Amino acid sequence: MNPKILSIDDSKTIRMLLKRLFTPFVCELFEAGDGQEGLEVVNREKPDLIILDYNMPVMDGVTMLRQMRENPEFKRLPVIMLTAEASPEIIGTVARLGVRDYVTKPFDSDQLLDKVIRVVNLERRPEA
Amino acid sequence: MSTATNPLGDLSAASGRALKEVFFKQLKLQILQSPVKDALSTVEGKLLHSAVSINGEKISGTVLLQVPELLAQRVTEIMLGSKGDAEEIRDVTGELCNMIAGRVKAELHASGFPATLGTPTVSVGQRIALQLRGEAQLSSTDWSVEGDQAGDFNLQVQIRIIS
Repeated sequence: MNPKILSIDDSKTIRMLLKRLFTPFVCELFEAGDGQEGLEVVNREKPDLIILDYNMPVMDGVTMLRQMRENPEFKRLPVIMLTAEASPEIIGTVARLGVRDYVTKPFDSDQLLDKVIRVVNLERRPEA
Repeated sequence: MSTATNPLGDLSAASGRALKEVFFKQLKLQILQSPVKDALSTVEGKLLHSAVSINGEKISGTVLLQVPELLAQRVTEIMLGSKGDAEEIRDVTGELCNMIAGRVKAELHASGFPATLGTPTVSVGQRIALQLRGEAQLSSTDWSVEGDQAGDFNLQVQIRIIS
Protein backbone atom coordinates (compact mmCIF):
# COMPACT_ATOMS: atom_id res chain seq x y z
CA MET A 1 0.00 0.00 0.00
CA ASN A 2 1.35 3.42 -0.95
CA PRO A 3 1.49 5.87 1.95
CA LYS A 4 -1.31 8.42 1.95
CA ILE A 5 -0.39 11.98 2.89
CA LEU A 6 -3.02 14.68 3.49
CA SER A 7 -2.06 18.35 3.17
CA ILE A 8 -4.48 20.73 4.93
CA ASP A 9 -3.74 24.38 4.21
CA ASP A 10 -5.85 27.27 2.96
CA SER A 11 -2.90 28.44 0.86
CA LYS A 12 -2.94 26.93 -2.59
CA THR A 13 0.74 27.86 -2.79
CA ILE A 14 1.65 25.61 0.13
CA ARG A 15 -0.47 22.75 -1.22
CA MET A 16 1.24 23.07 -4.63
CA LEU A 17 4.66 23.28 -3.00
CA LEU A 18 4.00 20.05 -1.10
CA LYS A 19 2.70 18.40 -4.26
CA ARG A 20 5.99 19.32 -5.95
CA LEU A 21 7.94 18.01 -2.95
CA PHE A 22 6.23 14.61 -2.92
CA THR A 23 5.92 14.04 -6.69
CA PRO A 24 9.26 12.12 -6.89
CA PHE A 25 8.01 9.64 -4.27
CA VAL A 26 5.60 6.73 -4.40
CA CYS A 27 2.69 8.05 -2.35
CA GLU A 28 -0.84 9.35 -2.66
CA LEU A 29 -1.26 13.01 -1.84
CA PHE A 30 -4.64 14.44 -0.82
CA GLU A 31 -5.50 18.09 -0.22
CA ALA A 32 -7.96 20.09 1.84
CA GLY A 33 -8.37 23.88 2.14
CA ASP A 34 -9.56 24.05 5.75
CA GLY A 35 -10.04 21.93 8.86
CA GLN A 36 -13.60 20.92 8.10
CA GLU A 37 -12.75 19.73 4.63
CA GLY A 38 -9.72 18.04 6.18
CA LEU A 39 -11.92 16.02 8.57
CA GLU A 40 -14.00 14.82 5.63
CA VAL A 41 -10.88 13.65 3.78
CA VAL A 42 -9.52 11.97 6.92
CA ASN A 43 -12.74 9.98 7.36
CA ARG A 44 -12.86 9.04 3.69
CA GLU A 45 -9.20 8.32 2.91
CA LYS A 46 -7.71 7.38 6.31
CA PRO A 47 -4.30 8.94 5.57
CA ASP A 48 -1.00 7.77 7.09
CA LEU A 49 0.18 11.33 7.75
CA ILE A 50 -1.38 14.80 7.91
CA ILE A 51 0.55 18.02 7.26
CA LEU A 52 -1.57 20.63 8.95
CA ASP A 53 -1.74 24.43 8.96
CA TYR A 54 -3.09 26.31 11.98
CA ASN A 55 -4.60 29.57 10.75
CA MET A 56 -7.37 28.68 8.27
CA PRO A 57 -10.90 29.91 7.58
CA VAL A 58 -13.98 27.80 8.44
CA MET A 59 -12.09 25.56 10.91
CA ASP A 60 -8.55 26.13 12.22
CA GLY A 61 -5.97 23.39 12.61
CA VAL A 62 -6.26 23.00 16.39
CA THR A 63 -10.06 22.64 16.29
CA MET A 64 -9.72 20.10 13.50
CA LEU A 65 -7.10 18.18 15.47
CA ARG A 66 -9.25 18.11 18.63
CA GLN A 67 -12.26 16.80 16.70
CA MET A 68 -10.19 14.22 14.89
CA ARG A 69 -8.64 12.90 18.12
CA GLU A 70 -12.15 12.29 19.53
CA ASN A 71 -12.43 9.41 17.07
CA PRO A 72 -10.47 6.43 18.52
CA GLU A 73 -9.53 5.38 14.99
CA PHE A 74 -7.50 8.60 14.55
CA LYS A 75 -6.15 8.99 18.09
CA ARG A 76 -2.61 8.17 16.95
CA LEU A 77 -2.74 9.36 13.34
CA PRO A 78 0.61 11.17 12.81
CA VAL A 79 0.38 14.94 12.27
CA ILE A 80 3.11 17.44 11.38
CA MET A 81 2.15 21.08 11.86
CA LEU A 82 3.29 23.44 9.07
CA THR A 83 2.34 26.97 10.03
CA ALA A 84 3.41 30.60 10.31
CA GLU A 85 2.07 30.46 13.89
CA ALA A 86 4.92 30.04 16.37
CA SER A 87 3.43 30.98 19.73
CA PRO A 88 4.44 28.73 22.66
CA GLU A 89 0.76 28.34 23.63
CA ILE A 90 -0.20 26.86 20.28
CA ILE A 91 2.90 24.66 20.18
CA GLY A 92 2.04 23.38 23.67
CA THR A 93 -1.60 22.78 22.74
CA VAL A 94 -0.82 20.72 19.64
CA ALA A 95 1.91 18.80 21.50
CA ARG A 96 -0.74 17.70 24.01
CA LEU A 97 -2.88 16.64 21.04
CA GLY A 98 -0.14 14.27 19.93
CA VAL A 99 1.46 16.20 17.08
CA ARG A 100 4.69 14.52 15.93
CA ASP A 101 6.55 17.59 14.73
CA TYR A 102 6.21 21.32 14.26
CA VAL A 103 7.58 23.25 11.28
CA THR A 104 7.26 27.02 11.05
CA LYS A 105 6.91 28.93 7.78
CA PRO A 106 9.16 29.96 6.10
CA PHE A 107 10.50 26.43 5.88
CA ASP A 108 13.24 24.44 4.21
CA SER A 109 11.64 21.78 1.98
CA ASP A 110 14.42 19.25 2.61
CA GLN A 111 14.04 19.57 6.38
CA LEU A 112 10.30 19.02 6.08
CA LEU A 113 10.94 15.98 3.89
CA ASP A 114 13.30 14.56 6.54
CA LYS A 115 10.58 14.89 9.16
CA VAL A 116 8.04 13.22 6.87
CA ILE A 117 10.39 10.31 6.15
CA ARG A 118 10.66 9.69 9.90
CA VAL A 119 6.91 9.05 9.93
CA VAL A 120 6.08 7.33 6.63
CA ASN A 121 8.14 5.11 4.38
CA LEU A 122 8.71 7.08 1.17
CA GLU A 123 10.34 5.37 -1.80
CA ARG A 124 11.46 7.24 -4.87
CA ARG A 125 9.53 6.61 -8.04
CA PRO A 126 11.51 4.68 -10.66
CA GLU A 127 12.99 6.98 -13.32
CA ALA A 128 10.75 7.10 -16.40
CA MET B 1 -7.42 54.65 24.60
CA SER B 2 -3.73 55.50 24.44
CA THR B 3 -0.70 53.87 22.90
CA ALA B 4 2.72 52.91 24.25
CA THR B 5 6.20 52.53 22.79
CA ASN B 6 6.65 49.93 20.09
CA PRO B 7 8.01 46.71 21.66
CA LEU B 8 9.97 45.82 18.53
CA GLY B 9 12.31 48.75 19.04
CA ASP B 10 13.59 49.64 15.61
CA LEU B 11 10.59 48.63 13.51
CA SER B 12 12.51 48.86 10.22
CA ALA B 13 15.21 46.51 11.54
CA ALA B 14 12.63 44.03 12.86
CA SER B 15 10.65 43.99 9.62
CA GLY B 16 13.89 43.69 7.63
CA ARG B 17 14.90 40.62 9.67
CA ALA B 18 11.53 39.01 8.96
CA LEU B 19 11.75 39.78 5.25
CA LYS B 20 15.32 38.52 4.88
CA GLU B 21 14.49 35.28 6.70
CA VAL B 22 11.51 34.56 4.46
CA PHE B 23 13.34 35.30 1.21
CA PHE B 24 16.41 33.31 2.19
CA LYS B 25 14.77 30.30 3.83
CA GLN B 26 11.83 29.87 1.46
CA LEU B 27 13.26 31.16 -1.82
CA LYS B 28 17.04 30.92 -1.31
CA LEU B 29 17.30 34.56 -2.37
CA GLN B 30 19.46 37.23 -0.79
CA ILE B 31 17.89 40.66 -0.61
CA LEU B 32 19.41 44.08 -0.13
CA GLN B 33 17.91 47.29 1.12
CA SER B 34 17.53 49.65 -1.84
CA PRO B 35 19.67 52.80 -1.74
CA VAL B 36 17.09 54.55 -3.96
CA LYS B 37 14.54 56.72 -2.16
CA ASP B 38 10.94 55.78 -3.04
CA ALA B 39 12.26 53.02 -5.29
CA LEU B 40 8.82 51.77 -6.31
CA SER B 41 8.10 55.01 -8.14
CA THR B 42 10.60 53.90 -10.81
CA VAL B 43 9.02 50.47 -11.28
CA GLU B 44 7.22 50.04 -14.57
CA GLY B 45 4.02 48.01 -14.81
CA LYS B 46 1.62 46.78 -12.17
CA LEU B 47 2.34 46.07 -8.54
CA LEU B 48 0.88 43.26 -6.48
CA HIS B 49 -0.07 44.31 -2.95
CA SER B 50 -0.56 41.80 -0.18
CA ALA B 51 -1.67 42.78 3.31
CA VAL B 52 -2.04 40.79 6.52
CA SER B 53 -3.50 42.22 9.73
CA ILE B 54 -2.08 41.55 13.19
CA ASN B 55 -4.54 41.79 16.07
CA GLY B 56 -4.23 41.19 19.79
CA GLU B 57 -5.60 42.53 23.07
CA LYS B 58 -2.73 45.00 23.39
CA ILE B 59 -1.73 45.46 19.78
CA SER B 60 -2.94 45.99 16.25
CA GLY B 61 -1.04 46.32 13.03
CA THR B 62 -0.69 45.65 9.34
CA VAL B 63 2.03 44.14 7.18
CA LEU B 64 1.91 45.29 3.55
CA LEU B 65 4.13 43.82 0.85
CA GLN B 66 4.26 45.43 -2.61
CA VAL B 67 6.11 43.69 -5.42
CA PRO B 68 6.36 44.37 -9.17
CA GLU B 69 4.47 41.83 -11.27
CA LEU B 70 7.72 40.59 -12.84
CA LEU B 71 9.25 39.83 -9.43
CA ALA B 72 6.03 38.11 -8.31
CA GLN B 73 6.28 35.90 -11.41
CA ARG B 74 9.92 35.02 -10.60
CA VAL B 75 9.08 34.19 -6.99
CA THR B 76 6.16 32.03 -8.10
CA GLU B 77 8.42 30.09 -10.45
CA ILE B 78 10.91 29.48 -7.63
CA MET B 79 8.25 28.34 -5.17
CA LEU B 80 6.10 26.23 -7.48
CA GLY B 81 8.69 25.12 -10.00
CA SER B 82 6.63 26.42 -12.93
CA LYS B 83 5.25 29.68 -14.25
CA GLY B 84 2.01 30.19 -12.39
CA ASP B 85 -1.21 31.58 -13.72
CA ALA B 86 -2.53 34.92 -12.44
CA GLU B 87 -4.34 33.31 -9.50
CA GLU B 88 -1.26 31.32 -8.46
CA ILE B 89 0.95 34.42 -8.65
CA ARG B 90 -1.49 36.27 -6.38
CA ASP B 91 -1.63 33.33 -3.98
CA VAL B 92 2.18 33.11 -3.76
CA THR B 93 2.39 36.85 -3.04
CA GLY B 94 -0.21 36.46 -0.30
CA GLU B 95 1.63 33.51 1.23
CA LEU B 96 4.92 35.43 1.27
CA CYS B 97 3.25 38.29 3.14
CA ASN B 98 1.67 35.75 5.52
CA MET B 99 5.11 34.32 6.33
CA ILE B 100 6.60 37.77 6.88
CA ALA B 101 3.69 38.72 9.15
CA GLY B 102 4.20 35.45 11.01
CA ARG B 103 7.81 36.34 11.79
CA VAL B 104 6.82 39.88 12.89
CA LYS B 105 4.10 38.37 15.08
CA ALA B 106 6.60 35.95 16.64
CA GLU B 107 8.82 38.89 17.66
CA LEU B 108 5.81 40.71 19.11
CA HIS B 109 4.83 37.59 21.05
CA ALA B 110 8.35 37.28 22.45
CA SER B 111 8.03 40.88 23.64
CA GLY B 112 4.82 40.11 25.53
CA PHE B 113 2.29 41.12 22.88
CA PRO B 114 0.47 37.98 21.67
CA ALA B 115 -1.66 38.40 18.57
CA THR B 116 -3.30 36.53 15.75
CA LEU B 117 -2.86 36.96 12.01
CA GLY B 118 -5.61 37.75 9.55
CA THR B 119 -5.98 36.07 6.17
CA PRO B 120 -3.84 37.65 3.42
CA THR B 121 -5.64 39.93 0.97
CA VAL B 122 -4.07 40.54 -2.43
CA SER B 123 -4.78 43.28 -4.97
CA VAL B 124 -3.18 44.72 -8.09
CA GLY B 125 -2.54 48.37 -8.86
CA GLN B 126 -0.28 51.35 -8.23
CA ARG B 127 1.89 51.98 -5.18
CA ILE B 128 -0.06 52.47 -1.97
CA ALA B 129 1.04 53.74 1.44
CA LEU B 130 -0.25 52.87 4.89
CA GLN B 131 -1.41 55.95 6.78
CA LEU B 132 0.24 56.86 10.05
CA ARG B 133 -2.55 57.42 12.57
CA GLY B 134 -2.31 58.46 16.21
CA GLU B 135 0.74 57.10 17.97
CA ALA B 136 1.17 54.11 15.66
CA GLN B 137 4.63 53.39 14.34
CA LEU B 138 5.18 52.88 10.66
CA SER B 139 8.15 51.45 8.83
CA SER B 140 8.47 51.57 5.04
CA THR B 141 11.57 50.05 3.45
CA ASP B 142 12.49 49.34 -0.17
CA TRP B 143 14.41 46.22 -1.19
CA SER B 144 15.83 44.45 -4.20
CA VAL B 145 16.83 40.86 -4.90
CA GLU B 146 20.59 40.54 -5.23
CA GLY B 147 21.57 40.00 -8.85
CA ASP B 148 18.03 40.32 -10.19
CA GLN B 149 16.62 43.11 -12.33
CA ALA B 150 12.95 42.33 -11.69
CA GLY B 151 12.56 45.58 -9.80
CA ASP B 152 12.58 46.89 -6.26
CA PHE B 153 9.85 45.99 -3.81
CA ASN B 154 8.49 47.54 -0.67
CA LEU B 155 7.55 46.36 2.82
CA GLN B 156 5.46 48.47 5.18
CA VAL B 157 4.74 47.50 8.77
CA GLN B 158 2.43 49.51 10.98
CA ILE B 159 2.19 48.67 14.68
CA ARG B 160 -0.03 50.26 17.30
CA ILE B 161 0.25 49.31 20.95
CA ILE B 162 -2.98 49.68 22.92
CA SER B 163 -2.58 50.31 26.63
